[in-house]
Amino acid sequence: MVLMIDTTTEHIGKVIAEELIRSGDHAAGFELIDTTGMHISHCIGCNYCWLKTPGRCAIQDDYEPILRKISKADQVWLVSDTHFGFVSWQTKNIVDRIMPLVTMYLQFKDGQMRHVMRYDHQPDIGIIYTGDGDQAYLERWCQRTTLNIGSRSLGVFSESKRREAVSCML
Amino acid sequence: MHVVIINGSPRVQKYSNTEKIMAAFAKGLSEKGSTFETYAISDRKTWDIIRDAYIKNDEILIALPLYVECVPGLLLEFLETFPQKDEHTRLSFLLQSGFAEGCQLRCGEEFLAKLPEYLGVRYGGCLVKGGNFGIRFLGEEQQERVTKPYQAMGELFTEGDGFFREEAKKFTGPEYFPLPMRLMMGLIFKTLAKREFQKTAASLGCSVPLDEKVWET
Repeated sequence: MVLMIDTTTEHIGKVIAEELIRSGDHAAGFELIDTTGMHISHCIGCNYCWLKTPGRCAIQDDYEPILRKISKADQVWLVSDTHFGFVSWQTKNIVDRIMPLVTMYLQFKDGQMRHVMRYDHQPDIGIIYTGDGDQAYLERWCQRTTLNIGSRSLGVFSESKRREAVSCML
Repeated sequence: MHVVIINGSPRVQKYSNTEKIMAAFAKGLSEKGSTFETYAISDRKTWDIIRDAYIKNDEILIALPLYVECVPGLLLEFLETFPQKDEHTRLSFLLQSGFAEGCQLRCGEEFLAKLPEYLGVRYGGCLVKGGNFGIRFLGEEQQERVTKPYQAMGELFTEGDGFFREEAKKFTGPEYFPLPMRLMMGLIFKTLAKREFQKTAASLGCSVPLDEKVWET
């Protein structure tokens, strides 16, 4: 299943979704979440999702249903505005709060310390961005982020190259 | 030198590892005759005051924990409210993380190295150090002991070269742990560390396995 999480002010996820549907390449299933109007807090670093209520975030807001979908998705596409060349804080908040998907337990993987994952299935992650994003940095960040959850980066695409991103969707 | 130190952690100050690190660093500043004022962004009500301090001062240090390879979302949100300044202002960073190896913080460091240019200010370098996850769970005496090395970095900072000196670079420690150490630590992770985490969890009132699959049961 392809999950697209759109935090952009121009709601460009809708345009991308229409292109994906037109392409007819979404047999595995597709869902677009536009976070406009949702209450999604930042991560407060309480570590409850590791140590007090393992696997569950302590913050009661609109995020948990999104995280459940992230945990089941094959691909997660973050559709984000950019500031300082990076994803928006709205998108970063969504990523910061994936921590319930990993456990407190540690291991070494490919020579680096990693958390042991909570579930067997991990989603690959890609980014589609608006504005003046730092392409090379976003690629590095996406790769590092997926390294943390044992999956892979699907790539980083500016809005103008969204058709390329659509061609990478299942 | 007068330094504005901003705690960029979203965690409440009382339990903030970054706050404990900042305290040791600030002690080093004092030892060498510098002064400082500290703030924390975890309480949004203080954002106007912090921004004002950023505007009125020219030596700024943001101390922060690494959140998913970069800056915490809350700090990004706050940074977006900063006005443009000029090169008279120097912005330095103290980036800390739970994972211990230097390589874990480099992606975050790259973002921080580029950030001052977006804000129009000068970059003062980034002090990078991992292995700080457990500070909040230690007693006061132990906290002081493990954060004490940051005091020397505060003293070094007073000398005016930001975090560009060799001592600051060496402070990070190893980029990767050598294989024998990884094997030994891997064994500890599977045994002693697991038990310690379970004990910590129990002290917080947790009664289920830490690796419980909550959405598959």
